[in-house]
Order: sequence, then structure tokens, then C-alpha cells
Amino acid sequence: MRTSLKALVVLVTLSLVAVACGGGGESGGGQAETITIGSLHPTSGPLAVDGERMAEAVEMAVEDINNDGGIESLDGAQLEVAASDTQGEAEVGSREAQRLIDDGAVAIVGPFQSAVAATVARTTERSQVPFVIDVAAAESILDQGYTFTFRIQPDSAGMGEFGARYLKSIAEASNTSVETFAYVHENSEYGTSVSEAFIEEAEKEGMQVTNNISYDALSVSDLTSEVTQAASSNPDVIVVTGYYGDSLLFAEAASNVQPDVKGIYGVANGAYSLEQFPEDAGDQGQNYFDSNYHFDATSDRANDLRSRFQERTGQGMRTPAVFSYQAVELIAEALEQSGSSDPTELRDAIADISLETELFPFDGPIEFNDKGQNTNAQPIVMQVQEGEIVQVYPEDFAQAQPIFPFVPWGE
Amino acid sequence: MTALKAKRSQQLILVGAAAIATVVVLLIWGDNLLAWAIGRRTVLIQALVTGLLLGGVYSLVSMGLTLIFGVLDILNFAHGALMALAMYSSYVLVSQAGFNPYLSLVISIPLLFLFGVVIQRFLLNKIMDEPHENQLLLTFGLALFIENLLLMFFSATPKSTNFPYSESGIPLGFTSIQGPLNIFGAVADLPRVLAFIGSLIIAGLLYFLLRRTRLGTAIRAVSEDPTGAALVGINVRRMHMVTFGLGTACVAAAGTLVLPFLTIQPTTGEQFNVIAFVVVVLGGLGNVVGALIGGILIGVVQKFGGAVFPGVNEMLFVFSLFVLTLLLRPQGLLGRKV
Repeated sequence: MRTSLKALVVLVTLSLVAVACGGGGESGGGQAETITIGSLHPTSGPLAVDGERMAEAVEMAVEDINNDGGIESLDGAQLEVAASDTQGEAEVGSREAQRLIDDGAVAIVGPFQSAVAATVARTTERSQVPFVIDVAAAESILDQGYTFTFRIQPDSAGMGEFGARYLKSIAEASNTSVETFAYVHENSEYGTSVSEAFIEEAEKEGMQVTNNISYDALSVSDLTSEVTQAASSNPDVIVVTGYYGDSLLFAEAASNVQPDVKGIYGVANGAYSLEQFPEDAGDQGQNYFDSNYHFDATSDRANDLRSRFQERTGQGMRTPAVFSYQAVELIAEALEQSGSSDPTELRDAIADISLETELFPFDGPIEFNDKGQNTNAQPIVMQVQEGEIVQVYPEDFAQAQPIFPFVPWGE
Repeated sequence: MTALKAKRSQQLILVGAAAIATVVVLLIWGDNLLAWAIGRRTVLIQALVTGLLLGGVYSLVSMGLTLIFGVLDILNFAHGALMALAMYSSYVLVSQAGFNPYLSLVISIPLLFLFGVVIQRFLLNKIMDEPHENQLLLTFGLALFIENLLLMFFSATPKSTNFPYSESGIPLGFTSIQGPLNIFGAVADLPRVLAFIGSLIIAGLLYFLLRRTRLGTAIRAVSEDPTGAALVGINVRRMHMVTFGLGTACVAAAGTLVLPFLTIQPTTGEQFNVIAFVVVVLGGLGNVVGALIGGILIGVVQKFGGAVFPGVNEMLFVFSLFVLTLLLRPQGLLGRKV
């Protein structure tokens, strides 16, 4: 008994010493040979489709930067990725963020979900490490007064506002009046905040909402009832905000009910600007619009990046993954400009940055306001035309003319 | 005896009061109510139809669960995951081997039946007498295992199959039924109607099995009194395996029948898990017909409630009904008195 107790004590002491020696070296600023960037995404669970691609995009970006010579102003310091799975859960996300920071990450990229972003932002603020949000739409994240959190994508308010303005412009351009619309959206913060922003802006543009219908995305398996309710108020257009599965259900239900509308308009929709949608929906989703964030399909650089991603992973590079790639590039550029890997100096460099991007159809370079929101971020409008997703508005980024009005279900 | 009479008269008073209140409301506001209903006729009828069809799906999922819960007294949290397993098996058959999804029933049902038997024999048998929390944890762990296995093999990309009769209609010899069906102005799309019919057929088959066959009688005996059943020579362990297998086979049918109209991900089964438990309680533990009626009732209440009170989360009505059932009739609609 005594001998094993002694042995245990020795073992424990030895391991503690080992940890103390091994773990100490990384933190703090100055010139380090490898700079660690933390990558937090849902690589398991229902959102793993995008989570996995985003994690891959971060790896790819780090590789590209390293192959290009690393961070010049830090003597060619190489980047490395410390990746972790949020499992789609807010507590796991913040716990893993803390762990990555403790292990030496100088910045965090992630996390795809607003709920997770909220808790991670708290953690990074406390630890004073910059957090670059690749994807997470809720405005409330940046309303907390955090100085270490930055977001590249347009937020949900921006999605809603631009969506309403774009609808008005498209209607005017095609000489079709849109005075009324019904809104069908999923009922969590995502669907609610986008729809509220849209409706507010739409009313300023002279469009009235006739019916505001919400549903629970996690438990819905049939939207026929909701479509019928929307149609019963005789709107010119039905606007839809939802995740992939439920938006597909909407298209299916709409093609059965066949409401008498001039078109269907997605806003920040999880399905209507994905290449998978026309495949899955077939005849039921023709000409659906989506005003959403999107990589710039008219940019050679974006297309080149996407085909390299396709070769490397065998999967298509969807917009969230492009954001992840951009986030890493942003951090690398900020490292260059700050000449330091100290998280606080890195944060300052990010806050002052003005980074031109060819990957996104934004209205200018990536620049953050004092809340940390990229002020030049904007969504664009895509449309399903002949089974392909094409960008149709604004004209600067259009690949084709918008078709409006339209009948989505055959004929 | 007096306590029972007191409770009975309490219930009678409640029902009586509710009836009188309804009559008064109708007398005073009946006109307006009628006008309002007629004005929203299409919406309400659509809600009814959608609710019925949705209820059919709920029933399908719940029938297996009620059998397992009723006979084996096991809280099967893996029910949704098993449904997902069946969905993916059918998906593979449809997308790789070109099967008609309804034909794949022939494979998914026996396959999941065997799988259920194996689970019972090698996993759950050992914890039959353990407290409920242990069973819950084990089935929950099983659910995680199955879902992540599916995630590993199929990834989380939503997958869907096409309804094979969307263009041609369901062939019936000399004619074919074209979807979607029009019912008094409401639309009912064919794959959901087929799922509804499927749930009726399966309820019928299960009822027949349980009431009119020796196997069914043995299962019911085990459910009522395992010791007594063992004493008369019934192999209780084998009955357990068969019952779990049957329950899993039912949810396999559910999974295959919903494949033509749902996009599936490894977690798709989960959305039906909670509602299945509600339906099982509503219908009465172990009562298959109760699960059928309960499922349809829940579906109708959910959709109709959502149409009458737009802006209110539909699940409010489902869980209100659940709470009411627990308060007023905890044994369920068709359950035996607790």
C-alpha cells in the first residue's frame, strides 16, 4: 500500500513539473517562431456541414500564408492552427476558447452560431484576445461594448435592411409594383431579428407587411399551413427566412398551394443561394431570390480559391468557409501591420485595418467601426436561374438580369 | 369507495362546467365566431388537413415507442436515432440501388427489427431491473452513438430523395392519382397522404398482432405480469427481444415513409422524439390504438392552434394538451387506470 502511494505521489509531482515546464513558453508577445490561431467551429452535430468546411478553410488559409513566406514583419514567422469543436453548444464554445487561449492562441476565428459567438466573445474579452467572427449574424453580440470582437459579415439588421431596399430596387427596375408582402420566418433570434429589420426598412420604402408568420425550425416537418396563411392575405411577394431544411419545406409547400404571388424572396435564407437547393427542389424552386451574404462569384480570386478548396477537400466551398479564409487573411495582415504577436497590439491593428477584399462583393475594404462591425459589409441578391445560382443585384456584381415577376412552380 | 366517488363527481362537475361555459360562449358570440371561421375557411381547413397528415407521422413514430414503453417499461431515448438509421438505410437503397422508397420498406423493416432484437439481447437485457435513470442513460448513449455513426458515414449535409410519383401520379391499374390532392380548397401532397395511410395500416397490423395472435397474447401477458407469464411457460426474455424488435420495426416504417418528403440529417429523428413521448402519454402507455389517436389529435391541435392563434408557437398547444392530460387523465385517453 505505502509503496504504491509513494509511486503515485512521485508520478503526480513529475507530471506537474512536466506540465509547468512544457506549458510556460508560449504566451506573451515579442518575436515567436510560430503564431497560433485558434479555430472554433461546430465540426460535429447538425451544423457540421458548414463547420467542417470552415475549419478546413482556416487550415488552408494558414498553409497559403505560410507558403507565401509567413509574417514578414516578424521575420517570416509561421502560423499554425489550434482547432476545436464547439459541438454547436455555447458552453462548449466558451470553454474551448479559454483552452485555446491558455494554450497560446493569439486570436480566435469562428464560430458560425450567434449563441456560441456570444459566450466566446465574453471569454475573449476577459482574456484580452482578439476574436474575429467569420459567421454569426446577431447584432446583439456587438452591442455588449466588447473591444476585442470583430465581425466581417453583415449583421442581421444589415441583412434585413439591404434586403428590403434591394427588393424595392428590383421591383422598380422590372416595372412591377410590390406594395405588400407576407413574411414567413423561423422563430429563433436569427429569423426574428432579420425579419424585424426587413419589415422596418420595408415600411420606409412604402411596402406593407400583410402577415408575419413564424414557425419552430427544429420541429417543423410541413409548412403547408403557414404558406396558406401567408397566401390568404394576398401579398405581392412572400419573404422567407429560415434554415436549409425548413426553407426547402417552404418551397415544397408553396408549389402545392401555389399562392398567387409575383415571386418568392429569401432574406438571409439558409437554402436559396446554395447550389444544393436547385438540385433538391427541382421544379419547385425556380427563380427563387435570396438576399444574402455570398462570396463574389464575379471575382477571379474567389473562383480560384474555391476550385483549390474543391480539389483539396472534395467538397464545395460555401460562403461561410470563404469567410473563415478571409478571417485568417485579416489576422495575418494585422500581424504584418502591428509587427507583434501580442494579442492586445494585434487587436489594435485589426481595429485600424483597411483591407481590400476580392473575395466578397462588399462596398469597400473591410473596416471596423468602434463596435467591431465591418462597415462596408453588404449582402447581395442571388437568384435560381435554370438550375444555377447567379448573382443578380446590385449591378456591380450581377452575373445576370433579375427575373421578376416569376412563377416558381413549373409552367 | 367514497374517495373514488368523490373524484368521479369532481370530474363530472368539471366537465359539466366546461360544457355550460362553451354553450354560453357560443350563444353570445356564436355569430361572430361563425363569420370569422367562414372568412378564414381555407386557412382553417388547410390547418386541419395538414394537422391530420402530420398527426399520422407522429402516430407512426409513437406506436413503436408505446409498445416498448408499455411492455418493457423502458424509456427509449434512442427511438429518434433508430428512425434516422432507418431513414438513411432507405436513402442508401434509393440513391445507390435505385429502389422505390416504398419498396425499401421490405428491407428497412426487417433490418431494423433484427437490429432492435440485437440491442435488446445484448444491451438492454442487462439493465431491465435497473432504475429508470440507468435505462435512460443507456438509451441516450445509444442515441448519441447511432447519430454520430451516421454523421461519420454520411456527413451532416442534408440529403433528400424524390417522391417517385410526383410526375406520373400513383398508378392504380387503369388510372393514376395525381398529387397534390385538393380537399375542400386545402392541399394534401401525396407522400404525406401515403404516410398517413401507412400509419393506419401499421396500427391495424399491430392491433391484429397483439389481439388475435398467440405471439401478441404472449406479449400482452408479459406486459401485464412478467412473473405470471414466466410461470405459464412464456419465454419472457424472448418476448422482450421480439417486442423491442417490433417497436424498432415500427419506427423503421415511420422513417422510410417520411423519407420522400423530408430532408434528412443524422439528427432528424430527434425532432420527433419529444413529441413521440407526449403522444405515448396522451394515448396511454402500451396502447397502440391510443398512440394512433393521440398522434393525430396532437397533430391537429398543433396546426389548428397555430392557425387560430397566429404568432403563438405551435408547440404551446401540444404541451398544454400534455399538461392537461397529466392533470386530468394521467393514464392517457385509452390507458388503463393507473
